[in-house]
Amino acid sequence: MGATANGIEVLWQELVRMCNEQFQSAPFQRLLGIKFTKERAQHYSIQMAYYVQNRRDGWGYVQGSAPLDIKQLIWHHEEDELIGQKAQGKVDHMTLAIKEGEVFGLTAQAFERTPRLEGGEVCFSAWVRLAQRPWLEAIAGSAILEMRNSSELIQGGSLSRRIAAMLERDLGIPMKKQINNAEHVVMDIEHAHLLMQVARKYATTEPARQAILRGARESLMIDRVYRGHLADMMTALPDRD
Amino acid sequence: MMDLVGDLLKTLDQMVNDQFESIEFKNFLGVPLTLERGRFYVVQNALYTSNRRDCWGYVQGAAPLPVKRVIWEHESDELVNDPRAGMDHYTLTVKQGEVIGLKPEDFEKAEVPAMVRACFYAWHHVALRSHWLTAYTASHMLERRNNGKIVKGGGMSYRVGKKFENELGISLKRMISLDVHVVADTEHSENISEIFERYIKTPEDRDLALQGARDSMAIDRAYRGALGYYMAQIN
Repeated sequence: MGATANGIEVLWQELVRMCNEQFQSAPFQRLLGIKFTKERAQHYSIQMAYYVQNRRDGWGYVQGSAPLDIKQLIWHHEEDELIGQKAQGKVDHMTLAIKEGEVFGLTAQAFERTPRLEGGEVCFSAWVRLAQRPWLEAIAGSAILEMRNSSELIQGGSLSRRIAAMLERDLGIPMKKQINNAEHVVMDIEHAHLLMQVARKYATTEPARQAILRGARESLMIDRVYRGHLADMMTALPDRD
Repeated sequence: MMDLVGDLLKTLDQMVNDQFESIEFKNFLGVPLTLERGRFYVVQNALYTSNRRDCWGYVQGAAPLPVKRVIWEHESDELVNDPRAGMDHYTLTVKQGEVIGLKPEDFEKAEVPAMVRACFYAWHHVALRSHWLTAYTASHMLERRNNGKIVKGGGMSYRVGKKFENELGISLKRMISLDVHVVADTEHSENISEIFERYIKTPEDRDLALQGARDSMAIDRAYRGALGYYMAQIN
């Protein structure tokens, strides 16, 4: 194995390790230790729709700064997220998030009139700022969140899968009715490999690999803060309906 | 009530027509084409296309969700595949180069001249650091300036295409990128009204859009002036 190939393999293993470690952090443990009520699920669902919107901001900026061939990869990535696979009858992920809200008793208006969580807003600004940094850091910052959501890479299941299991356990809503979670459980396995495609072509030097690690590390830090705010939000709500 | 959007569109139309009266545009369009100058222009135009892709990405990042979708569709032609051409616009430009003896390597190793680089950075700045309406209008104006239905005498791609035809004997149909842009930018710039109708509700919104138009047209003049200058140095 050549030095570059070895370097990329080491990089990949480190990224996967970081994503798994995320689940051992205090904010993730707090979030995943919560018992869902209908009201908590409603608020979680709305805030996650804002998270999805922020991801679209981030990927747009990354598309702007990336080389042309990577722009094309991102454009295809955003088709699933922003437009949906019309040929397969799949809607965009924002529509999906709002539609999933129906199983928690939410209307589309509830998404429109509920403000963003204050702490969430700050995290979203931090992610946008990261997305505007040099492109390798920026793309790692966005792609790592999909690696963290890949059940292929995360022992014990991705974040979407774990949240879906909690909603099934606490509210009796089966995964197949949680259409947004179910979609991400599948889609992010596929999307998680985007960063590896980038790394194979562009992470050919140690500084490039370090840039990817920097972006990934910073994004996971923001992610921990964000999940902590979500946990706080839900803890502040009554623990029974 | 004042017709905010209607008045804005009229102003934008006037601005893109005024571009062609500017000293920079006149100088650029007045430089006689030689094959070498034509090659320089085509390579530089590919770099310009890349810069457009950067800026539209940044605008997509900042814009509201429905506008992101419009930009994504727009970028389908540009970045992935334009059904009019059967390829993306960068590949189209490289392919166009074959007609005047350019190879893909000529595009890969092309350097961005100093004054052009400054213009590219300026467009990046507007796209990244402005309110999204400003950034959106800044990028849109370059397509409006290429719309032959709005610009009397033809948009930029048409006029440059005609120069290739009249001065080098290469018909516009063979300059496939210029030819596609004559149509593509007309369509792209006509899709804009819907966005303006939806998002421009106050004089402040209109001013944000006008700021983007002014900034982008100023950079565009500087860019065309730079191209004219560099082309004139090629003997």
